[in-house]
Amino acid sequence: MPILGTEEETKVREWFAGLARPVELFVALGPEETPGAGTRDLDFGAEMVRLCEGLAELGDGVTCRIEDEPDGFPRFPAVSIRPDGQDAGVRYDGLPWGYELGSLVGGIVEAGRDQPTLRPDSLAALEELDRDLTLDVFVTPT
Amino acid sequence: MLLAFRCALASERVTAAAIEANEFPQLSQELGVWAVPRVVVDGEPRWDGSVPEPEFLRRLVAAA
Repeated sequence: MPILGTEEETKVREWFAGLARPVELFVALGPEETPGAGTRDLDFGAEMVRLCEGLAELGDGVTCRIEDEPDGFPRFPAVSIRPDGQDAGVRYDGLPWGYELGSLVGGIVEAGRDQPTLRPDSLAALEELDRDLTLDVFVTPT
Repeated sequence: MLLAFRCALASERVTAAAIEANEFPQLSQELGVWAVPRVVVDGEPRWDGSVPEPEFLRRLVAAA
């Protein structure tokens, strides 16, 4: 089964064709927590691989690499979105299906830009940070 | 979610992870995730819901 419909795939191909720098999807597989009730019955790791390999097929600038239990991943499956193959601290833990697939695709497009897309005052605020911050955003697929 | 990713891409001081709440119910329960998006900064739940970029940055900086 394709990961995207025809129209969506065409759009994603266009976005990926416009990437200013390559983006690697580094997929981390490992022991998975038992998901909550109501979650679809599927192999999340295998589905993550299928999803990321499928996205990598939509643009020359997007590649996919898979490792078992690499360091630095607290949960599995997960995918690190890496501009120029470098860890920029952008990660998706769990399978981004449904609406959340858009977050992964959007993350790839953002990582592929050569300039930040935040407002100048936002960039200035980030420059003022004097310590590291870890942002976790809990989401659910819809 | 994209706003968090943008912050991480723009600053070496920030890392951002989307966490699929249903797939990690234990962690979600520990952090009291009942509404999404729930934003957690350095392990502390900070706010629920999407906010515009200026407000997102204001809250992020306030949490630092």
